[in-house]
Amino acid sequence: MHEIRLTVNGRVERATVPAATTLLELLRERLHLTGAKEGCGIGECGACTVLLDGAPVTACLVLAVEADGRDVRTIEGEARGGELSDLQKAFIDAGAVQCGFCTPGMILSARALLDRNPNPTDDEIVEAIAGNLCRCTGYEAILQAVRLAAERLRGREASEGRRLPAEGDEANSAMKGGG
Amino acid sequence: MLGAFDYVRARSVDEACRLLAESDDAAVLAGGTDLLVEIRNGLRSPRLLVDVKSIDELAVLDADGTERVIGAAVPLNRVAEHRAIRDALPALAESALSIGTYQLRNRATLAGNLCNASPAADSAPVLMTVGARLTVAGPSGTRTVPVSVLFTGVKRTCLAPGEIVTDVRIPAPESGTRTAFLKQQRIRGHDLAVVNVAGSYAPDAGTLRVAVGSCAPTPVLLEPIDASGSVDVVAGRAIELAEAAVSPISDVRASAAYRRAVLPVLLRRLVDRLLNGGRRS
Repeated sequence: MHEIRLTVNGRVERATVPAATTLLELLRERLHLTGAKEGCGIGECGACTVLLDGAPVTACLVLAVEADGRDVRTIEGEARGGELSDLQKAFIDAGAVQCGFCTPGMILSARALLDRNPNPTDDEIVEAIAGNLCRCTGYEAILQAVRLAAERLRGREASEGRRLPAEGDEANSAMKGGG
Repeated sequence: MLGAFDYVRARSVDEACRLLAESDDAAVLAGGTDLLVEIRNGLRSPRLLVDVKSIDELAVLDADGTERVIGAAVPLNRVAEHRAIRDALPALAESALSIGTYQLRNRATLAGNLCNASPAADSAPVLMTVGARLTVAGPSGTRTVPVSVLFTGVKRTCLAPGEIVTDVRIPAPESGTRTAFLKQQRIRGHDLAVVNVAGSYAPDAGTLRVAVGSCAPTPVLLEPIDASGSVDVVAGRAIELAEAAVSPISDVRASAAYRRAVLPVLLRRLVDRLLNGGRRS
């Protein structure tokens, strides 16, 4: 058994875990943070994406002991004081959520992208979320949500209450050669 | 729970080598993106995982000097995003970017891509053509292993029990050297290579180095190729050498016949890129 101490969404957490416990199991089964999902369990689908020291990783392929001393952020850390984050709002406004299984991972991949690049091109958005599979939306609304969040981040005041761009005008070419 | 192994975070190369040598069933844990999947799928069941990511010297990334040093614990995204690597060795950056997804590349390492010894390892052909060498530490000291002799079979390397790779070293290329990497895959997203090829061309030396992956039990480095003549002539030499060196099989990704058909197409494109200034063709 291993004693570990890590920060999850700003809170210090301690746990005693067998070495073979994944970070995903720690989050879901010990800390009851069930936003990160297990889809494939082999790092292909991205449903378990969390931020480890700010970088998106698939929590199914990280051991809980490897996260000892590190900082973890999950979808539960997005909303602050009961208010949804910019990305969460954009996902709702763009209709980017259908069944919702991929959404937590999708938002965290998008969060890491906007943290490192507040003005991403469509190709950069596609590359950033290529490791997050969605079987409902066809991705267009998700791309639109990330664009919208980026736009609002860049010019909050001007963007507030702005009409969404008509569907298809930029979105149609976005997935060509991507995904 | 992935299994019943124990875990140690090694703090030095010596400690890691000692732990690996003492246990009869220990595995090196770097990014874990292959190892943990294999454990989960029951293909491997080591008793001890030795995590090497907290060893300082394995975290080195020095790509600004003449010899480029990439520590064994450096994740692929750091390699792919490094300015000096993108400028001088674009094929290495491209091959690193073609591995897995963004999330995986935040964990997966260059050394791990090699040590996993998949015939389809995307970084291997590139590193072979630029003469990369591995620094290998073990119970009896440190030795240097050229990437071109690392692979001994499917999922097999020449590393002895208790040995670990501490870094990948790429010698300073001759001036004007161009590199290129091409990968045939089933989808544009993350996928293993059906065939991958890499090349390096130093105009002053007048020779091309070309390596081929996913077409034999290991990636294969071809003999140096005379670069004189047209693209078709040079590509013809590469194709002749490659076809004699490979033994593709049929698997879930492609048939042997498809691989044999794709290989010359990729090689011709590769030679075109190398001889015509490294542009995408």
